Amino acid sequence: MAELTVRELHLKYGDNPILKGVSMELNRGEVVSLLGPSGSGKTTLLRAVAGLEVPHQGTIQIAERTVFDSAAGIELPAESRNLGLVFQSYALWPHKTVEANVAYGLKLRKVAAEESRQRVADVLKQLGLGALGERYPHQLSGGQQQRVAIARALVYNPRVILLDEPLSNLDAKLREEARAFLRELIVRLGLSALVVTHDQNEAMAMSDRILLLNNGRIEQQGTPQEMYSGPKTLFTAEFMGSNNRFAGKLAETRNGRARIEGAGWSLWGMLRGEPGAGSDAHGVIRLEQVRVAADPGDNRLKLALSTSMYLGDRWEHLFRMGDLPLRAYGNEELSAGEYWVEFPAERLWVF
Amino acid sequence: MRATSYAETLPRAFTILVTATAVLAPLSLIVYQSLLSAPFFDANKEAGLDAYRFIFADSDFWQAFKHSFLIATGMTLIAVPLGGLLAFVMERTDLPGRAWLEPMLLVPSFVSPMVLSFGYVVAAGPVGFYTIWSRDLFGGAPWNIYSVLGMTVIAGLTHVPNVYVYASAALKNLGSDVEEAARTAGASPFRVAATVSLPLIMPSLLFSGVLVFFLGFELFGLPLVLGDPEGILVLSTYLYKLTNKLGTPSYHLMAAVAICIVAVTFPLVLLQRQLLKGTRKYASIKGKAGRMRELPLRNWKWIAFGLIGLWILLSVLVPLSGVALRAFVTNWGEGVRLADALTLEHFKAIWDEPTMMRGIGNTVLVGVIGGFLTVVCYTAIGFATHRRDDGWSRFVDYLVLVPRAVPGLLAGLAFLWVFLFFPPLTPFRSTLFSVWLAYSVVWLAYGMRLISSSLLQVSAELEEAGRSVGASRGRVSRDITLPLIRYGLLGSWLLVFMIFEREYSTAVYLLAPGTEVIGAQLVSLWQGGAIDLVAALSLINVVLVGVGLGIALRFGVKLRD
Repeated sequence: MAELTVRELHLKYGDNPILKGVSMELNRGEVVSLLGPSGSGKTTLLRAVAGLEVPHQGTIQIAERTVFDSAAGIELPAESRNLGLVFQSYALWPHKTVEANVAYGLKLRKVAAEESRQRVADVLKQLGLGALGERYPHQLSGGQQQRVAIARALVYNPRVILLDEPLSNLDAKLREEARAFLRELIVRLGLSALVVTHDQNEAMAMSDRILLLNNGRIEQQGTPQEMYSGPKTLFTAEFMGSNNRFAGKLAETRNGRARIEGAGWSLWGMLRGEPGAGSDAHGVIRLEQVRVAADPGDNRLKLALSTSMYLGDRWEHLFRMGDLPLRAYGNEELSAGEYWVEFPAERLWVF
Repeated sequence: MRATSYAETLPRAFTILVTATAVLAPLSLIVYQSLLSAPFFDANKEAGLDAYRFIFADSDFWQAFKHSFLIATGMTLIAVPLGGLLAFVMERTDLPGRAWLEPMLLVPSFVSPMVLSFGYVVAAGPVGFYTIWSRDLFGGAPWNIYSVLGMTVIAGLTHVPNVYVYASAALKNLGSDVEEAARTAGASPFRVAATVSLPLIMPSLLFSGVLVFFLGFELFGLPLVLGDPEGILVLSTYLYKLTNKLGTPSYHLMAAVAICIVAVTFPLVLLQRQLLKGTRKYASIKGKAGRMRELPLRNWKWIAFGLIGLWILLSVLVPLSGVALRAFVTNWGEGVRLADALTLEHFKAIWDEPTMMRGIGNTVLVGVIGGFLTVVCYTAIGFATHRRDDGWSRFVDYLVLVPRAVPGLLAGLAFLWVFLFFPPLTPFRSTLFSVWLAYSVVWLAYGMRLISSSLLQVSAELEEAGRSVGASRGRVSRDITLPLIRYGLLGSWLLVFMIFEREYSTAVYLLAPGTEVIGAQLVSLWQGGAIDLVAALSLINVVLVGVGLGIALRFGVKLRD
């Protein structure tokens, strides 16, 4: 059952359209990520759901309740939507203690003092903040502040919890821990969560489903695996991983396969989309699918090694084909010279 | 259900309505009065342009206009370069003692111009302390403050803080790397200021230049005190003298002059607003504040020190020491020995005079209680526009600017008329309420800047977080925003207190038994020639402001926004 339904949402700042018809659903117990580059409208969509931005067209439903409907003139203010929102900056109130921060939502809902204290204590304990209730936000570490922000959003049991770039304010090391913690927490409590992020790894790790936004529209949506391994567009393919990209012309298509060629090279790949023969086309392949081989063979190009970089767990080799840099991972260092590099046809997408 | 319910819009609509009435009613009354041929309560009044015809035919008016223009231009030319340079030295160099110099620089903007002007008369007038001492020591005193030039120089020097405040704020936003680049290229500190730093903050200098220029048109205390002996009139003193000129109340003529003054100042206020937008744009481009490194002054230090010292001497120490000395001597002139003339009589005279004591009490009351209520009102207006970007907010934005264009003297006059014109208000005419209301409206733009700079420091997300956990807009204001800005509001209260202690021109026309405040009493006593009382009362006024300043410094209240 959908906890959150957005239909054909349009929103603009002045004359500048930010959302151009976005529709999505969030089901009970599901974590959905809104992923996209900056300016794609992901945070705006989240804020529109929260009631902090006013769309000019479309509908938003939370559970069975319509909270926004431009045609019917319905616009519930943010405070009546009963959502939990975790801000990128956490936005903890500096003049209230941790306890008071968390309890505020209950106070507004006129929960009796005794029960409120119990519920605050419970949620703080769940988040591993049991002993910190008396502290003020500035006395906490970044990670603890984030947990307080989550506790504040969870304490009144909202149907949906919205998280705006929840990890971006933490430093790199802490981010990985927090990511695991957050995913575990959401699953354990059975929350329905909508998460905004610009980091595709974060999105894949945390969510059941990803919505990729591009320039105010949903480019593609699906499970992390679908998004990573089955991109339908060039944009999705490029956004979701580290790639080599060939620009060339489509030479021929056969049985769902396509041959793309450029100056002095030609490669077979899987046809995605419908470019006609002779038109401009792009070949995209994930770095980890590229193999360095000793001999010539299908879909192999002879390339000069430009340099190798040691990454700790592996090597990254940089080859050159004219002006075009091509990269591959390997397990050992390569000496200078020319190599045959294979771009497996079933892993190369042609758009 | 809509996002905004009546329970929320009603207080807002009420606030905006009251503000609009308080600002626009007096102004409309001036416009209305200026189009009549006689005072508005006169049965024989007729609509027409007679009043304008009269003043345009009066050569005194044109003379006054010329003087206003000359003084305004001259003081701008003095205040802007000095203020800019001062800001550069204070913000960007390693000049020692900046921490305690800073409040000194702002003193002239907190002392009543009436007091300062009087101070100049008794210190540097033809028989002033320093004039006589200078004659005794050097055989001459080559200055004449009773002249257009003298007034221009004094006005220019005392308005340096107005420029300094904006210029230093702009310099704070400027990365120091551009200056370091100039230094490495071989420029001396003052060369850096003249060729790099100051040109980069040009929009702010322009903005404050416009400000000083229209403040020049609003000058009242200074020309009243210094222009009087030589009969030099400016627009505001011309208006003030009109009261007595024809024997009968010539409200229509005064209104016509008032409109002429506003016709000059209002476009300048609008221009200033446009410029402010420009400075913001500029600031955001150059907004890499980043690390601030001080420019080592080395030997230039003494020049900078001397310059600032000279300015403080001329615009703070000379007039204030004059006031302080004059308050304790029986009389002063050629051949009087200071030690023989010392007395406490003037203070005793004030102690014995009930109206004086009431004036002091009222001044404190208006400053403390009135100041508090004013901050409450300003805060209400602030909340009415806070985080709302709609037509009403823009309307209020412009509305609060309007009183800025109306000099205090005119505003006081307009409020006097409002209290006479609307019978329901007449009982309040001779209560302190009339003075408080006029003060609050006159200082609306200043006060709103204080409030909104507090409000802007509250990040939007803190308020949105409140909304998202279920608090209405009003609840968020009460539980989150208000507690977060409470120190800012306390600071504003203190600043408003000082401004209200200092204010004088607004109360001039409202002066009546029951509404005496020191500022207005100074003007009236000065007109009556009671120099001794003026001196003592001035000193008391300075002390009141000083108390406020002391508290502000003690608690680290920012003296500027």
